Amino acid sequence: MGHKGQGRLGWLFASPYLIYAVVFFAIPLIWSLFLSFTDWNLIAPTFHFKGFDNYIEALKSPGVHAAFFVTFKFMFLFVPMVIASSIIVALIIHGLPKFKGLFLIGFFLPYLASGVVSSLIVKGILSYNSPINEVLRNSFGIDINWLGSPFAALFVVALIIAWKFTGYYALILTSGFESIGKEVYEAALIDGVTPWQRFWKITFPLLYPALFTVLILAIGVTFGIFTEVYQLTGGGPDYATNTWQMEIFTKAFTNLEAGYASAVAIIASIVTFVSIFIIRKLLELWGKRNGWV
Amino acid sequence: MKKFASVMIAGALTVSGLAGCSTGNTSNSQSTSKNGVTTIEFWAAPNPTQQVYWQEVAEEFTKENPKIKIKVSPMKESPTSEASIQSAIAGKSAPTMSENINRGFAAQLAESKALVPLDSLDGWDEVKKARHMENTMKGWEFSDGHQYVLPIYSNAMLFGWRLDILKELGYNEPPKTYSEMLDVAKKLKEKFPDKYVWAKADLVDPTAWKRWFDFFMLYDAASDGNKFIEGSKFTGDDKAGVKVLSFVDNLRKEKALMTRQAKDPFETGLGIFTDIGPWTISYWKDKFPKMKFNDTYTLATPPVPDGMDTKNVKTFADTKGLVIYASATKDQQKAAMKFIKWVYSNPKNDEKWLEKTNLPPARDDLTTNETFKDFFDKNPALQPYAAAVPNAIPPMDNAKYNDLQTIIGREAFNPVVKGEKSPDKAWKDMKKAFEGALN
Repeated sequence: MGHKGQGRLGWLFASPYLIYAVVFFAIPLIWSLFLSFTDWNLIAPTFHFKGFDNYIEALKSPGVHAAFFVTFKFMFLFVPMVIASSIIVALIIHGLPKFKGLFLIGFFLPYLASGVVSSLIVKGILSYNSPINEVLRNSFGIDINWLGSPFAALFVVALIIAWKFTGYYALILTSGFESIGKEVYEAALIDGVTPWQRFWKITFPLLYPALFTVLILAIGVTFGIFTEVYQLTGGGPDYATNTWQMEIFTKAFTNLEAGYASAVAIIASIVTFVSIFIIRKLLELWGKRNGWV
Repeated sequence: MKKFASVMIAGALTVSGLAGCSTGNTSNSQSTSKNGVTTIEFWAAPNPTQQVYWQEVAEEFTKENPKIKIKVSPMKESPTSEASIQSAIAGKSAPTMSENINRGFAAQLAESKALVPLDSLDGWDEVKKARHMENTMKGWEFSDGHQYVLPIYSNAMLFGWRLDILKELGYNEPPKTYSEMLDVAKKLKEKFPDKYVWAKADLVDPTAWKRWFDFFMLYDAASDGNKFIEGSKFTGDDKAGVKVLSFVDNLRKEKALMTRQAKDPFETGLGIFTDIGPWTISYWKDKFPKMKFNDTYTLATPPVPDGMDTKNVKTFADTKGLVIYASATKDQQKAAMKFIKWVYSNPKNDEKWLEKTNLPPARDDLTTNETFKDFFDKNPALQPYAAAVPNAIPPMDNAKYNDLQTIIGREAFNPVVKGEKSPDKAWKDMKKAFEGALN
């Protein structure tokens, strides 16, 4: 078969995914873009073109402002939290003599847990009259309004999601740890490096590719938070946990403003794309400057 | 040959991939009037008891009317029942009819021409007459003069009081007016500083529907059932509104409100006052057997401003009903009305509903019709609900009810509960925000 024939065959084999991508990504994207210029609610027989009105309205909306800032606040809480915990878990598992896979599965299980169920459990644990709060209040005089104060609510959401993703990221980091050859450490030992130097000068640079992947994945997660805030706080108090997804959901499915919600979704996707692109570039620059990549 | 095989494999993969995306829904045109049998899709509320009821009633109906087949299925609730209906309509897979529709959502659907005005179908007047719901239906007329929803049940929301704790404070019955309630608050905090009158996190949550169970219960009582919004006009009673907010503000000043998330605050006695619907009674029977009517707790209509009549107090009606979708064929719409007529021409069907769900049927004769007497004699805790049905005010019929009710929370009710705004300022801010939302 010639090059031309091989090329055709390649296209043919790629066609299922291409069709899938067109049907489920390209068409909805174009459809959403179209909707964002209308006042259509998806069910009315008529609609009007509004030009950029939806975008202007969205850019002025306190809900959208909140979604923008909440995402970054959440990122600063969640990313360090999940990276630290997944490194710790990966280090522990890496150091185990046996049953590494079994423990990894154990840590991975929260990732498979339903966000609804875990949120409801957390809601119970943090309620005013839960045993943990009774003890804190009666024995230590500490009374925290976990889901009612802006910072605490965001912190709780970050903590649940970090718990959920730790096992998944630890899985990636464990494979990173496993790929570092023992001979490197043996050579370092002969050179008399301290454990701290060993971590920063050997482990961290060699782990960087895996860490880079995990960081980008974690940053991506921050732009798609929904279930936990929907269940725990509904975006409150006072928009303190109002994420992009929460804002889009409320407008599209509660207020039946599909056109406006599409405009918010387009803005959200631009913000997400640009943010991840910049962060990725900064991480790459950081890695290159230190000679890790 | 190789090329042909590759094409076949790729084609098969594509087709199977796309086939996997099918929802399995059949279009209305396919399922109607086949061999003279009209099939209608009925979405029941996602609640096992209601599904069982509709399944049984549909089967009985089909026995008598073999030319109409009713497919009962539960309404999907992911993420909400409203969202699934919206998606179904957008995806041209809406059912013929469904229950579980509140008036506000019906207004949104009606404005989008997604519902059939029931009064435009033959037999509607007979349904109203046969079910004795002419008075009840008056409150359901939409601003365009049509009726889009047949209310199935009307939960006249009541406030529950912890009678056992009230008795410890020296009261034998719940307070009826604002000042009586503030007296209770003072006495409660003196005797039990760790308890609250109203312990409910929703009081500071601006989510739209939460206002039905705090603000509207109090407002309907204080305004004697004022409509609040008529069509696209704010017609609220300023005096009543400010009185409600002042009352809540006074409770806050007495430290009688607890707005933190708490597990079962009323059942544990953390709070002694809360909104209760009839569904709670059967829930308590299973989960909190210690909650006994007229012993642990009692039910009362909302408190009213001082000087107001404390009899026939109005309250909010958590009420949902049946609708017929405009996307259904004429045959299906006709068949759906025939089914409705059949169900509601016999009070035994409402009795069955009451027994299965504990939700009071929306009819004028609930307390006088002998059919229901036995049930209410056996279930005394549900009697106050039946008695309050004529005084129950349904939600507003404005398509922007979500926005409007969020404004009530965000601009008025929530900040007053938190002590961030005076009642007067909160009411003014709310009205100002309405101007933008109603236009």
